Amino acid sequence: MKEQRCFVKENKKINENYFLMKIKSEYISKNSKPGNFVMVNVSETFDPLLKRPFGIFKSEPPFIWLYFEVVGKGTKLLSNFKKNDKISILGPLGNSLPEFKNKKILMIAGGRGIVPIFYSIHTYSQHNDIFLVYGAKSEKDLNLYEEIKSKKLKKLFLYTDNGSVGKKGLVTSDVKNIINNNKVDITISCGPEPMFKTLVKKIEHIGTENYISMEALMGCGFGICHSCAKKTKNNNYKQVCTDGPIFKMEDIKW
Amino acid sequence: MVDLSTDLGFIKLKNPVITASGTFGYGEEFQDFFNLDILGAFVLKGIYKNPKSGNSPPRIHETASGLLNSIGLPGPGAKELQKIVKRIHRLTKTPIIINVCGESDEEYIEVAEIFDKMDEVTMLELNISCPNIKRGGKCPAQDEKHTYKLVNQIKHNTSKPLIVKLSPNVNDISSIAISAEQGGADCISLVNTFLGMAVDLDSKRPVFKNLFAGLSGPAIKPLALKLVWETVQSVHIPVIGIGGITSGRDVMEFILTGASAVQIGTINIVEPKASVRIIKEIKDIMKKLNIESLDEIKGKLKI
Repeated sequence: MKEQRCFVKENKKINENYFLMKIKSEYISKNSKPGNFVMVNVSETFDPLLKRPFGIFKSEPPFIWLYFEVVGKGTKLLSNFKKNDKISILGPLGNSLPEFKNKKILMIAGGRGIVPIFYSIHTYSQHNDIFLVYGAKSEKDLNLYEEIKSKKLKKLFLYTDNGSVGKKGLVTSDVKNIINNNKVDITISCGPEPMFKTLVKKIEHIGTENYISMEALMGCGFGICHSCAKKTKNNNYKQVCTDGPIFKMEDIKW
Repeated sequence: MVDLSTDLGFIKLKNPVITASGTFGYGEEFQDFFNLDILGAFVLKGIYKNPKSGNSPPRIHETASGLLNSIGLPGPGAKELQKIVKRIHRLTKTPIIINVCGESDEEYIEVAEIFDKMDEVTMLELNISCPNIKRGGKCPAQDEKHTYKLVNQIKHNTSKPLIVKLSPNVNDISSIAISAEQGGADCISLVNTFLGMAVDLDSKRPVFKNLFAGLSGPAIKPLALKLVWETVQSVHIPVIGIGGITSGRDVMEFILTGASAVQIGTINIVEPKASVRIIKEIKDIMKKLNIESLDEIKGKLKI
């Protein structure tokens, strides 16, 4: 991991609240793996004070891409960055997914949870069969079709809460059937906490190997401040920034 | 050539920049960023006798130019830390300071004794001011008599230089500082975090389960500077200034106010190489002010 001042190469507004930012960093792009994240300095002042964690959406040296939704002060500031602005980033951070070969992998993405999933599809689709379940609240929250469709997918299942795109329902609705019908070996999921809670109940004992990528309120991103603690099944705390963000689903206390 | 060294009486540091407890891990984590040899000294994350898992999340809340924390001092316990200390001592000869914690006077003494015996440890910093261990945040630092008694007991049972780290959450910092000095402290460091509070309008609940949390970061710098000034005026032992320092300029302001050294805290978690930058900035400022040693400016505030 390194902290670097990088150039923003593009900050593309996808729709009213979502942005895809392309940043030039030879070091981070060459050293990152699916699951890794970066800490981004959204302001040169001390307000806000902390860097913000963002999963890496795509990495093609010398560039990385971040996909983010404007949800607060930090992401609002990030949305204001323009081409050729400088930005300080620390990364790559966190653990990453193991390597897989000749597996049937089901990826489950809820909303912004598509970020590490997209990176994983890109990495694993060459040597594995990838099934993707992607869901969000409504059409405007379900973005990046073109990029997703360009990937080698066995099957794509889309969901929106209001049915504006894909099936009406939650991303977790048919997961059990999809796993059984396609003889899935491995699941990799990322999304909001309620999604994980539902998912655990549905697939914990189904026999798949289940990896999750977790979000957390973070201070430093490299294991110093102990802010991003998550309780594990045996009542210890793990740090999402250094022990994660990738965890085995069954290791976390839900 | 500017001379950045500072004399604490019992030890001379090569520069006044010490990294503060809880913001620098055990030092090892920063090796990827810079060579630990450049630091004046570093304080390890506070340690209790037994392993502690810390508070339940949320543990932090950002405020305007500040950070509230209620981490709860998670740590591996004294025995495990001894192994870590041996390991980091092989990495660097920079003085290692142990931040001694305790839920009781007995525990404080026991922990202090354990690290007092280690050659790898240069100094002890007594954390009598950690505000967020128990609900309400009461600590020895809020009581003159308790401060005196605890410092005195530790001094009787140990031989290494003892820094006493004060809490800002008191009515009269001078009387607490004097108690620590009379108890036998070799040095005072201040401030620890200011107690603060955050509430969530949506859930109508406090953000932190412990209700209060400790505020740090640039937001507290003027408050810290005032307390450092008052302390410097009241005691004869050296004072280490802490609170919201993010630049070489901030360091020089604390030294001008009378601090002999400083601790860099929250900025370490925001900008891992902050200490490197700050040391360079101190050098640049000294050159610009045309001063060769920090003594030329230390405590020279014109009132």
